[in-house]
Amino acid sequence: MSARWHKLYGWLDERVDIDELVRFMGKKYVPVHRHSIWYYFGGVTLFLFIIQVMTGILLLLYYKGSEQLAFESIQFIMSKVQFGWLVRSIHSWSANLFILSAVVHMFSVYFERSYRKPREITWLTGMLMLFLGLGFGFSGYLLPWNELAYFATKVGTDIAGVVPLLGKPLMLFLRGGDEVTGATLSRFFGFHVAVFPGLFTVLLVIHLLLVQRQGMSEPQGLEEGESRQTMPFFPNFMLRDILLWLIVLNVLAILAVFFPWELGRKADPFASAPAGIHPEWYFLFMFQSLKYIPSRVLVVDGEVLGIGLFGAAGLAWLLIPFWDRKSARGIRNRTISYIGIGVVVYILLFTILGWLS
Amino acid sequence: MRLPDGVTGPPGADGAAGGEGGRRDFLKIALGAGALASLAAVLYPVIAYLKPPKQAEVEVTSVKVGKLAAIEKDSGTIVRFGSKPVILIRSAAGDLRALSATCTHLDCTVQYRKDLGVIWCACHNGKYDLTGRNIAGPPPRPLDEYRVIVQGDDVFVSRKT
Amino acid sequence: MRTPALIAAVLILAGRSATAADACLTCHQGLGDKPSALWAHDVHARHGVSCAGCHGGNPAAEDMERAMSRDAGFVGKPSGDAISAMCARCHADSSRMASLGAHIRTDQFALLQQSVHGRLALDGKQRIVQCTACHGVHGILPVADPGSPVSPLRVVALCASCHSDAKYIRTYNPALPVDQLEKYRTSVHGSRNAAGDPRVAQCVSCHGNHGILSARDVRSSVYPTNIPLTCARCHANAALMASYGIPADQYAQYAASVHGVALLVKKDLGAPACNSCHGNHGAAPPGVESISQVCGTCHALNADLFAKSPHKSAFDAGGLPECETCHGKHDIAPATAAMLGTGGGSICTRCHGDGDPGFMAAAAMKRLADSLAASDSAARALVEEAEQKGMEIAEARFRLRDARQAALEARTTVHAFDEPRFAAVVGKGLAVTSAVADEAARSVAEYYFRRIGLGVATLIITLLAVSLYLFIRRLERRQAAGRGGDAGFPFMKEDTHT
Repeated sequence: MSARWHKLYGWLDERVDIDELVRFMGKKYVPVHRHSIWYYFGGVTLFLFIIQVMTGILLLLYYKGSEQLAFESIQFIMSKVQFGWLVRSIHSWSANLFILSAVVHMFSVYFERSYRKPREITWLTGMLMLFLGLGFGFSGYLLPWNELAYFATKVGTDIAGVVPLLGKPLMLFLRGGDEVTGATLSRFFGFHVAVFPGLFTVLLVIHLLLVQRQGMSEPQGLEEGESRQTMPFFPNFMLRDILLWLIVLNVLAILAVFFPWELGRKADPFASAPAGIHPEWYFLFMFQSLKYIPSRVLVVDGEVLGIGLFGAAGLAWLLIPFWDRKSARGIRNRTISYIGIGVVVYILLFTILGWLS
Repeated sequence: MRLPDGVTGPPGADGAAGGEGGRRDFLKIALGAGALASLAAVLYPVIAYLKPPKQAEVEVTSVKVGKLAAIEKDSGTIVRFGSKPVILIRSAAGDLRALSATCTHLDCTVQYRKDLGVIWCACHNGKYDLTGRNIAGPPPRPLDEYRVIVQGDDVFVSRKT
Repeated sequence: MRTPALIAAVLILAGRSATAADACLTCHQGLGDKPSALWAHDVHARHGVSCAGCHGGNPAAEDMERAMSRDAGFVGKPSGDAISAMCARCHADSSRMASLGAHIRTDQFALLQQSVHGRLALDGKQRIVQCTACHGVHGILPVADPGSPVSPLRVVALCASCHSDAKYIRTYNPALPVDQLEKYRTSVHGSRNAAGDPRVAQCVSCHGNHGILSARDVRSSVYPTNIPLTCARCHANAALMASYGIPADQYAQYAASVHGVALLVKKDLGAPACNSCHGNHGAAPPGVESISQVCGTCHALNADLFAKSPHKSAFDAGGLPECETCHGKHDIAPATAAMLGTGGGSICTRCHGDGDPGFMAAAAMKRLADSLAASDSAARALVEEAEQKGMEIAEARFRLRDARQAALEARTTVHAFDEPRFAAVVGKGLAVTSAVADEAARSVAEYYFRRIGLGVATLIITLLAVSLYLFIRRLERRQAAGRGGDAGFPFMKEDTHT
């Protein structure tokens, strides 16, 4: 058997010269230390993204993105297509788990300061992917064209319209018109299955290539001379990754069977908004915070202030590698830890508040 | 990269290639079997999913026809409702009515005849009044009714519940 | 001219007794005018009301100038609304009426104002009807007096004097019929009234007298939901009805019937009141042959089917009233499945004996109806089960409506008493219920399949995960032992960094 593999390998190598690459890959090592557990979250996020792509492609075979048929087509998938219920519920659950995993991954990188030189670009691409992930979530949420989604999109795009100067054109661009209509659905569908995947793939490739090229970042705590434990990426870390992915896959299946994703009622633009509309959990903390800002603060409109603050905070977060000079120099930066803890507590608190209200 | 069943790798790299004989085989067999079974457990639903269900298409429940102003008085327009034709009649007085446009005789598509004031089937001269009742010719049954909903300026046709 | 009158007045006055305090009357009687002649019989006169009671002025004054002077309060001949106001001055005064008798009403004027007769007349200046229009002016008699225009035997002609005048009524309500009197005279009430029976219903009995409201007014005694009680005023009075030889249980039966409940409890105006079957003014019980026509005005399809069924000729031959024989007349109960067939509570067995074709047909149809009902509830139960389990089954539930539809159609089709036809309708329903039951059962099975499938998949994945875990552990143990653990990748050399 192995002779056959050797022959195949040889055939490929003669044409593509992969030997060098393979040797390079064989030399990859993953540091083993007490924070190693966080290394897995990048892989889990990647796995969940792959699940999204695969289930998404399957859904594309039956989903119809028009105002008249979107809701019915998902009803069709849930009730008439064999295992349609499974594909759809996995897609919805995996979307949420993907964002959760991405956020955990991002915070672990943050707290480990892995964004420091030379990994600034990795951080940037990662953050941009996280934003795209939120975009995936927001656009995908509308696609079933049900009541909750319709009104959540209305509110969400309304908030986008609050941005000074660019707000109105931005809102028109997002909505494909003045109101949320079938045109909005078409746009969101296009964003969700073409634009975002394309952008995401480019960023992902850069991100992964950089990780491969630069190797795994090690925590600052370890000193240079200390004997470092490592394990080879191939096969050890990869097999462990696969083991974790298997468990995640099983969890998804269990969620899909025992907690199937609801469909709700078809959107009716002429009906009044149902009580208690709210965005998905990953937007809740922002949504809740906006509720607490008074409608007018000095000269600025409350909502504009809120959006402005979030925008500024997001930008600052994005550019952390560039203003956290200390970490780049190898000095432990306690401020970063405090800011990070503060942000995590804030997000958790406001998400819970949003959930309860 | 998974190893197919039974592969033991290049001899010499591992001196104990044959040493733990039975146990190694068992584990690798379990691994291989597990991998294949898992692959099947994933592929089976996917393949079943790809097979189109008996009811091949989504059933349409409502269709937007267009603006009220665009529909002329005393006229009949054929509208597509999913895969079926529906005739939308606007009377001279302005009220709307939607009926199935499939003739109950031999399934031809009917039309509105302004000059006769009836719905007419060109195939065998069947006639229906404007409420869909069959009044002359071979059609055995009246035309099915659909609901017309006017919201603001827009006209929708939906299934009669 | 005045002198002879004066002389006459003096003579008459001289001849009269001292109790003649009504100089007006004395004078006018001398004149020989009609009012004063009528006044002699007037009930007001008997109670000591003088001319001045309505006309004002000084009844004691013999001199015309003084008697009829404005200063003395003379108002001349009141016209328009002033007439009724004048009557009301006493008749709406409870203390004054009480002194004449505790039972005397005082609400007539108020009722008249609110009634349909109290609306403005064509000239816009007064009400359509004043008190005097019905009661007369100077010769007013008590209602019970047969000479009164509003007495039971005469009031009909009184009302008809306007209400049978097409030209007049048209000026107020062109849609209001004017044939009530004509129809009334064809009715039992009307013919008896014409024969001199004061106890039967006439206009006032149903419409009221002073507070007559339009039949479309919810408060009217002849508004559909009020009609049964209005009729019951007499027709539920056992003693009264006994004298005519009529039962008095119709209202009680009707109120408990499906029509009564629909009209009186559910306020469904589509349900028949007494007049819907018996007629309004021309009220009479429908004849035997007419019953199905009467019922058929609403239950058209059933009547039609029945008329073409074998029962029609059979019933005609037996002189049996059509709908009533099976359904009753006043006490119509909601039709139940038990009415059909050969079991207890069945109507068919009243005529059909064991073994005759009708009996067999009834039994067969009952079996079919029962099977439809049973499969409908079974399908419904399955759909509910699937829904409870969270399965998406909206379409099946939608199709169940067709099963209900078939059951309803079957109920109607029974009246053709044609087994094959009944079977066809029931068959439609059975097809729907079996299809729905199939889909629901499949849905429930799918629910269990998913859980079992998950169990199997979990088992497989767990097996794989465990073997993988063991494999990794073994690999790393070997790597640690420096044997360069072999994952089997032929082209990689494992180095371990320690």
